[in-house]
Amino acid sequence: MDIQKELTTGKGYSVFPIENIDIFKKLRTSFIEKINITNKLGDNIGQIRKKMAKMSKAEINKIMVNLLSFNDLSEMIINSCPTLIKSLCGDELFIQRRAHTIINVPGDGQSKQWTHYELMSGISPFSYVIWAPLHDLEDQGGVYYIDQKKSSEIMKKEEEEGLVNGPTVLNLITEQKPTLMKFGEAIIFNPFVLHGNVTFKSEFARIACNVRFQSYNKPLLQKNTDYLKYYKLV
Amino acid sequence: MSIATATTDINIGPYKIPSNGQNMIMNNYAQRNNLTIELVIPEPMMSNELATIQWLQKDYKISKLILCSIYQLPFKQERIDELLNNMKDIEFHFALEGISGKGIDFLLSCIKEVRMFKNARIINSKNTSWSKLYEMTRGQG
Repeated sequence: MDIQKELTTGKGYSVFPIENIDIFKKLRTSFIEKINITNKLGDNIGQIRKKMAKMSKAEINKIMVNLLSFNDLSEMIINSCPTLIKSLCGDELFIQRRAHTIINVPGDGQSKQWTHYELMSGISPFSYVIWAPLHDLEDQGGVYYIDQKKSSEIMKKEEEEGLVNGPTVLNLITEQKPTLMKFGEAIIFNPFVLHGNVTFKSEFARIACNVRFQSYNKPLLQKNTDYLKYYKLV
Repeated sequence: MSIATATTDINIGPYKIPSNGQNMIMNNYAQRNNLTIELVIPEPMMSNELATIQWLQKDYKISKLILCSIYQLPFKQERIDELLNNMKDIEFHFALEGISGKGIDFLLSCIKEVRMFKNARIINSKNTSWSKLYEMTRGQG
Protein backbone atom coordinates (compact mmCIF):
# COMPACT_ATOMS: atom_id res chain seq x y z
CA MET A 1 0.00 0.00 0.00
CA ASP A 2 1.40 3.43 -0.88
CA ILE A 3 1.86 6.02 1.83
CA GLN A 4 -1.06 8.21 0.78
CA LYS A 5 -3.46 5.26 0.92
CA GLU A 6 -1.96 4.10 4.20
CA LEU A 7 -2.61 7.53 5.68
CA THR A 8 -6.19 7.83 4.44
CA THR A 9 -7.64 4.31 4.30
CA GLY A 10 -4.97 2.21 6.00
CA LYS A 11 -3.36 2.36 9.42
CA GLY A 12 -3.14 6.16 9.36
CA TYR A 13 0.62 6.06 9.78
CA SER A 14 3.61 4.80 7.85
CA VAL A 15 7.36 4.47 8.35
CA PHE A 16 9.35 5.68 5.36
CA PRO A 17 12.99 6.33 4.40
CA ILE A 18 14.03 9.99 4.53
CA GLU A 19 14.61 11.14 0.96
CA ASN A 20 17.32 13.78 1.46
CA ILE A 21 19.41 12.16 4.14
CA ASP A 22 22.18 14.76 3.71
CA ILE A 23 19.80 17.51 4.87
CA PHE A 24 18.69 15.34 7.77
CA LYS A 25 22.31 14.70 8.77
CA LYS A 26 22.88 18.48 8.69
CA LEU A 27 19.83 18.84 10.93
CA ARG A 28 21.41 16.47 13.44
CA THR A 29 24.69 18.39 13.25
CA SER A 30 22.85 21.66 13.88
CA PHE A 31 21.11 20.08 16.86
CA ILE A 32 24.44 19.00 18.32
CA GLU A 33 25.93 22.47 17.80
CA LYS A 34 22.98 24.24 19.37
CA ILE A 35 22.69 22.12 22.51
CA ASN A 36 26.21 23.29 23.34
CA ILE A 37 27.17 20.45 25.70
CA THR A 38 29.54 18.61 23.47
CA ASN A 39 33.00 20.09 24.06
CA LYS A 40 34.43 16.76 25.11
CA LEU A 41 31.97 14.54 23.29
CA GLY A 42 32.45 15.66 19.70
CA ASP A 43 29.58 14.81 17.44
CA ASN A 44 29.06 11.26 18.67
CA ILE A 45 25.29 11.07 19.09
CA GLY A 46 25.59 7.93 21.24
CA GLN A 47 27.85 9.71 23.75
CA ILE A 48 25.54 12.73 23.76
CA ARG A 49 22.52 10.52 24.42
CA LYS A 50 24.39 8.77 27.21
CA LYS A 51 25.25 12.09 28.85
CA MET A 52 21.68 13.34 28.48
CA ALA A 53 20.32 10.17 30.07
CA LYS A 54 21.97 11.22 33.34
CA MET A 55 20.97 14.89 33.23
CA SER A 56 18.57 16.51 35.67
CA LYS A 57 15.31 17.99 34.44
CA ALA A 58 16.82 21.48 34.93
CA GLU A 59 19.81 20.59 32.74
CA ILE A 60 17.50 19.22 30.04
CA ASN A 61 15.44 22.42 30.24
CA LYS A 62 18.61 24.46 29.71
CA ILE A 63 19.26 22.49 26.52
CA MET A 64 15.70 23.11 25.40
CA VAL A 65 16.27 26.86 25.89
CA ASN A 66 19.42 26.63 23.74
CA LEU A 67 17.32 24.91 21.09
CA LEU A 68 15.00 27.93 20.83
CA SER A 69 17.56 29.27 18.36
CA PHE A 70 16.91 26.33 16.01
CA ASN A 71 14.81 28.57 13.74
CA ASP A 72 15.08 26.53 10.54
CA LEU A 73 14.23 23.13 11.99
CA SER A 74 10.79 23.07 10.32
CA GLU A 75 12.21 23.81 6.89
CA MET A 76 15.00 21.25 7.37
CA ILE A 77 12.55 18.44 8.17
CA ILE A 78 10.23 19.46 5.32
CA ASN A 79 13.13 19.67 2.85
CA SER A 80 14.32 16.23 3.95
CA CYS A 81 11.10 14.69 2.59
CA PRO A 82 9.97 16.91 -0.33
CA THR A 83 8.57 14.28 -2.72
CA LEU A 84 6.33 12.69 -0.12
CA ILE A 85 5.09 16.05 1.16
CA LYS A 86 4.45 17.34 -2.34
CA SER A 87 2.50 14.19 -3.23
CA LEU A 88 0.29 14.65 -0.18
CA CYS A 89 -0.13 18.43 -0.05
CA GLY A 90 1.22 20.06 -3.20
CA ASP A 91 4.00 22.62 -3.06
CA GLU A 92 2.17 25.39 -1.21
CA LEU A 93 2.05 24.59 2.47
CA PHE A 94 1.29 25.80 5.91
CA ILE A 95 4.08 24.44 8.11
CA GLN A 96 4.70 24.64 11.81
CA ARG A 97 6.43 27.92 12.61
CA ARG A 98 8.73 26.24 15.12
CA ALA A 99 9.15 22.47 14.82
CA HIS A 100 9.83 20.51 17.99
CA THR A 101 12.82 18.61 19.24
CA ILE A 102 12.01 16.14 21.97
CA ILE A 103 14.46 14.71 24.46
CA ASN A 104 13.15 11.76 26.44
CA VAL A 105 15.19 10.65 29.42
CA PRO A 106 14.95 7.00 30.54
CA GLY A 107 13.81 5.86 33.95
CA ASP A 108 10.72 5.88 36.15
CA GLY A 109 9.43 9.35 36.90
CA GLN A 110 10.79 10.69 33.65
CA SER A 111 8.87 11.92 30.66
CA LYS A 112 6.01 9.91 29.29
CA GLN A 113 3.54 11.24 26.78
CA TRP A 114 0.13 9.79 27.43
CA THR A 115 -1.96 8.62 24.51
CA HIS A 116 -3.41 11.46 22.45
CA TYR A 117 -4.52 12.60 19.01
CA GLU A 118 -2.62 15.46 17.35
CA LEU A 119 -6.00 16.98 16.52
CA MET A 120 -6.46 17.79 20.21
CA SER A 121 -4.19 20.83 19.78
CA GLY A 122 -6.49 22.41 17.18
CA ILE A 123 -4.43 21.71 14.08
CA SER A 124 -6.43 21.11 10.91
CA PRO A 125 -7.82 17.60 10.30
CA PHE A 126 -5.95 17.85 6.98
CA SER A 127 -2.57 18.13 8.74
CA TYR A 128 0.12 15.50 8.83
CA VAL A 129 2.95 14.98 11.28
CA ILE A 130 6.44 13.77 10.43
CA TRP A 131 8.38 12.42 13.40
CA ALA A 132 11.99 11.26 13.13
CA PRO A 133 14.57 10.07 15.64
CA LEU A 134 18.12 11.46 15.44
CA HIS A 135 19.55 7.96 15.97
CA ASP A 136 18.54 4.29 15.79
CA LEU A 137 15.66 3.38 18.11
CA GLU A 138 16.55 0.00 19.53
CA ASP A 139 14.85 0.18 22.94
CA GLN A 140 11.42 1.16 24.18
CA GLY A 141 12.18 4.90 23.90
CA GLY A 142 10.21 5.39 20.69
CA VAL A 143 6.56 6.17 20.04
CA TYR A 144 3.65 3.74 19.81
CA TYR A 145 0.85 4.23 17.31
CA ILE A 146 -2.69 2.83 17.36
CA ASP A 147 -4.12 2.26 13.89
CA GLN A 148 -6.77 4.69 12.78
CA LYS A 149 -9.54 2.09 12.66
CA LYS A 150 -9.20 1.52 16.39
CA SER A 151 -8.37 5.19 17.06
CA SER A 152 -11.50 6.38 15.28
CA GLU A 153 -13.69 3.76 16.97
CA ILE A 154 -12.46 4.98 20.36
CA MET A 155 -12.96 8.60 19.31
CA LYS A 156 -16.56 7.97 18.24
CA LYS A 157 -17.34 5.95 21.40
CA GLU A 158 -15.94 8.70 23.61
CA GLU A 159 -17.79 11.37 21.65
CA GLU A 160 -21.07 9.54 22.30
CA GLU A 161 -20.20 9.70 25.99
CA GLY A 162 -19.33 13.40 25.78
CA LEU A 163 -15.61 12.84 26.26
CA VAL A 164 -12.41 13.63 24.39
CA ASN A 165 -9.18 11.98 25.47
CA GLY A 166 -10.96 10.41 28.43
CA PRO A 167 -9.93 7.40 30.51
CA THR A 168 -10.31 4.90 27.63
CA VAL A 169 -7.66 6.80 25.69
CA LEU A 170 -5.43 7.67 28.62
CA ASN A 171 -5.34 4.07 29.89
CA LEU A 172 -4.14 2.76 26.52
CA ILE A 173 -0.63 3.79 27.57
CA THR A 174 -0.21 0.72 29.75
CA GLU A 175 -0.30 -1.86 26.96
CA GLN A 176 1.82 -0.37 24.18
CA LYS A 177 5.07 -1.31 22.46
CA PRO A 178 6.91 1.57 20.73
CA THR A 179 7.91 1.26 17.06
CA LEU A 180 11.58 0.44 16.44
CA MET A 181 13.27 2.56 13.77
CA LYS A 182 16.66 3.26 12.21
CA PHE A 183 18.33 6.65 11.81
CA GLY A 184 17.27 7.85 8.37
CA GLU A 185 13.72 6.60 8.79
CA ALA A 186 10.77 8.76 9.76
CA ILE A 187 7.14 8.14 10.51
CA ILE A 188 4.26 10.12 9.07
CA PHE A 189 0.80 10.02 10.63
CA ASN A 190 -2.55 11.75 10.41
CA PRO A 191 -4.02 13.74 13.31
CA PHE A 192 -6.60 11.05 14.19
CA VAL A 193 -4.05 8.36 15.03
CA LEU A 194 -3.66 7.85 18.76
CA HIS A 195 -0.04 7.73 19.88
CA GLY A 196 2.22 8.33 22.84
CA ASN A 197 5.33 7.05 24.55
CA VAL A 198 6.03 5.06 27.67
CA THR A 199 8.71 5.39 30.32
CA PHE A 200 11.63 3.19 29.37
CA LYS A 201 14.86 1.70 30.67
CA SER A 202 18.05 2.45 28.77
CA GLU A 203 21.54 3.88 29.08
CA PHE A 204 20.54 6.39 26.40
CA ALA A 205 18.15 9.31 26.12
CA ARG A 206 15.93 9.43 23.07
CA ILE A 207 16.17 12.46 20.79
CA ALA A 208 13.69 13.13 18.02
CA CYS A 209 12.17 15.96 16.03
CA ASN A 210 8.76 16.48 14.51
CA VAL A 211 6.91 18.92 12.30
CA ARG A 212 3.27 19.48 11.40
CA PHE A 213 2.17 20.64 7.96
CA GLN A 214 -0.82 20.80 5.62
CA SER A 215 -1.72 21.95 2.15
CA TYR A 216 -2.23 25.71 1.83
CA ASN A 217 -5.41 24.82 -0.09
CA LYS A 218 -6.97 22.88 2.78
CA PRO A 219 -8.83 24.65 5.57
CA LEU A 220 -7.31 25.58 8.91
CA LEU A 221 -8.96 24.74 12.22
CA GLN A 222 -7.88 26.59 15.39
CA LYS A 223 -4.16 26.96 14.71
CA ASN A 224 -3.31 30.04 12.68
CA THR A 225 -0.36 32.45 12.48
CA ASP A 226 0.42 31.69 16.12
CA TYR A 227 1.55 28.21 15.08
CA LEU A 228 1.83 28.04 11.30
CA LYS A 229 3.58 29.88 8.52
CA TYR A 230 3.26 29.83 4.75
CA TYR A 231 5.98 27.85 2.97
CA LYS A 232 6.52 26.97 -0.67
CA LEU A 233 8.46 23.83 -1.55
CA VAL A 234 11.06 24.45 -4.23
CA MET B 1 14.04 56.03 22.80
CA SER B 2 11.14 53.99 24.18
CA ILE B 3 9.94 50.43 24.10
CA ALA B 4 6.17 50.38 23.72
CA THR B 5 3.30 47.91 23.64
CA ALA B 6 -0.04 48.59 22.00
CA THR B 7 -3.45 47.09 22.61
CA THR B 8 -6.09 47.11 19.89
CA ASP B 9 -9.62 45.86 19.25
CA ILE B 10 -10.58 42.56 20.90
CA ASN B 11 -10.92 40.97 17.43
CA ILE B 12 -7.45 40.32 16.05
CA GLY B 13 -7.78 38.30 12.86
CA PRO B 14 -9.04 34.87 13.96
CA TYR B 15 -8.23 35.59 17.61
CA LYS B 16 -10.45 37.25 20.22
CA ILE B 17 -8.21 38.67 22.94
CA PRO B 18 -9.42 41.22 25.51
CA SER B 19 -7.02 44.10 26.12
CA ASN B 20 -5.89 42.79 29.52
CA GLY B 21 -5.13 39.46 27.80
CA GLN B 22 -3.20 41.33 25.11
CA ASN B 23 -1.18 43.03 27.85
CA MET B 24 -0.45 39.68 29.50
CA ILE B 25 0.78 38.20 26.21
CA MET B 26 2.97 41.22 25.41
CA ASN B 27 4.34 41.52 28.96
CA ASN B 28 5.29 37.85 28.92
CA TYR B 29 6.97 38.28 25.52
CA ALA B 30 8.89 41.30 26.82
CA GLN B 31 10.03 39.41 29.91
CA ARG B 32 11.23 36.43 27.87
CA ASN B 33 13.17 38.72 25.55
CA ASN B 34 14.64 41.03 28.23
CA LEU B 35 12.68 44.05 26.99
CA THR B 36 11.55 46.70 29.49
CA ILE B 37 8.28 48.31 28.50
CA GLU B 38 8.15 52.08 29.04
CA LEU B 39 4.99 53.02 27.20
CA VAL B 40 1.59 51.31 26.90
CA ILE B 41 -0.53 52.60 24.04
CA PRO B 42 -4.27 51.86 23.74
CA GLU B 43 -5.41 52.01 20.13
CA PRO B 44 -9.19 52.44 19.73
CA MET B 45 -11.53 49.54 19.12
CA MET B 46 -12.64 48.85 15.54
CA SER B 47 -9.46 50.36 14.15
CA ASN B 48 -6.32 48.79 12.80
CA GLU B 49 -4.67 51.96 11.55
CA LEU B 50 -2.15 52.14 14.43
CA ALA B 51 -2.69 55.92 14.15
CA THR B 52 -2.20 56.65 17.87
CA ILE B 53 1.20 55.01 17.82
CA GLN B 54 2.26 57.01 14.76
CA TRP B 55 1.03 60.25 16.38
CA LEU B 56 2.85 59.48 19.64
CA GLN B 57 6.02 58.57 17.80
CA LYS B 58 6.84 62.27 17.36
CA ASP B 59 7.11 62.79 21.13
CA TYR B 60 8.22 59.43 22.42
CA LYS B 61 10.71 58.29 19.80
CA ILE B 62 9.60 54.68 19.99
CA SER B 63 12.46 52.33 19.12
CA LYS B 64 10.72 49.00 19.65
CA LEU B 65 7.03 48.23 19.42
CA ILE B 66 5.45 45.02 20.69
CA LEU B 67 2.11 43.88 19.31
CA CYS B 68 0.28 40.63 19.92
CA SER B 69 0.03 39.59 16.29
CA ILE B 70 0.82 40.45 12.69
CA TYR B 71 -2.98 40.60 12.24
CA GLN B 72 -2.89 44.00 14.01
CA LEU B 73 -1.11 45.60 11.07
CA PRO B 74 -3.27 47.78 8.76
CA PHE B 75 -5.10 46.18 5.81
CA LYS B 76 -5.80 49.18 3.57
CA GLN B 77 -3.04 50.20 1.18
CA GLU B 78 -3.02 53.90 2.13
CA ARG B 79 -2.75 52.98 5.83
CA ILE B 80 0.02 50.53 5.02
CA ASP B 81 1.87 53.25 3.10
CA GLU B 82 1.59 55.62 6.08
CA LEU B 83 2.85 52.93 8.43
CA LEU B 84 5.82 52.10 6.22
CA ASN B 85 6.66 55.77 5.88
CA ASN B 86 6.36 56.65 9.57
CA MET B 87 7.53 53.48 11.27
CA LYS B 88 10.15 51.90 9.06
CA ASP B 89 12.85 52.60 11.65
CA ILE B 90 10.97 50.96 14.51
CA GLU B 91 11.75 47.36 15.45
CA PHE B 92 8.44 45.47 15.48
CA HIS B 93 7.84 42.45 17.70
CA PHE B 94 4.83 40.15 17.26
CA ALA B 95 4.36 38.08 20.38
CA LEU B 96 2.06 35.29 19.18
CA GLU B 97 4.10 34.59 16.07
CA GLY B 98 7.37 35.06 17.97
CA ILE B 99 8.93 37.09 15.17
CA SER B 100 10.64 40.47 15.13
CA GLY B 101 12.30 42.75 12.61
CA LYS B 102 12.65 46.21 11.22
CA GLY B 103 12.25 48.05 7.94
CA ILE B 104 9.96 48.10 4.94
CA ASP B 105 10.81 44.59 3.70
CA PHE B 106 10.09 43.03 7.08
CA LEU B 107 6.76 44.84 7.47
CA LEU B 108 5.71 43.97 3.93
CA SER B 109 6.57 40.30 4.52
CA CYS B 110 4.36 40.32 7.63
CA ILE B 111 1.51 41.98 5.72
CA LYS B 112 1.91 39.42 2.91
CA GLU B 113 1.74 36.59 5.42
CA VAL B 114 -1.48 38.02 6.89
CA ARG B 115 -2.97 38.09 3.39
CA MET B 116 -1.99 34.44 2.83
CA PHE B 117 -3.74 33.43 6.02
CA LYS B 118 -6.76 35.62 5.36
CA ASN B 119 -7.22 33.79 2.05
CA ALA B 120 -7.22 30.40 3.78
CA ARG B 121 -10.49 28.72 4.61
CA ILE B 122 -11.17 28.08 8.29
CA ILE B 123 -13.33 25.35 9.76
CA ASN B 124 -15.57 26.80 12.46
CA SER B 125 -14.81 24.58 15.43
CA LYS B 126 -17.99 25.74 17.18
CA ASN B 127 -20.08 24.04 14.50
CA THR B 128 -18.34 20.71 14.17
CA SER B 129 -17.40 17.61 16.12
CA TRP B 130 -14.49 15.21 16.21
CA SER B 131 -16.33 12.63 14.13
CA LYS B 132 -17.40 15.26 11.56
CA LEU B 133 -13.79 16.41 11.26
CA TYR B 134 -12.73 12.80 10.75
CA GLU B 135 -15.37 12.23 8.06
CA MET B 136 -14.27 15.46 6.34
CA THR B 137 -10.88 13.90 5.60
CA ARG B 138 -12.18 10.58 4.26
CA GLY B 139 -12.68 11.90 0.74
CA GLN B 140 -9.04 12.80 0.19
CA GLY B 141 -6.40 10.54 -1.22
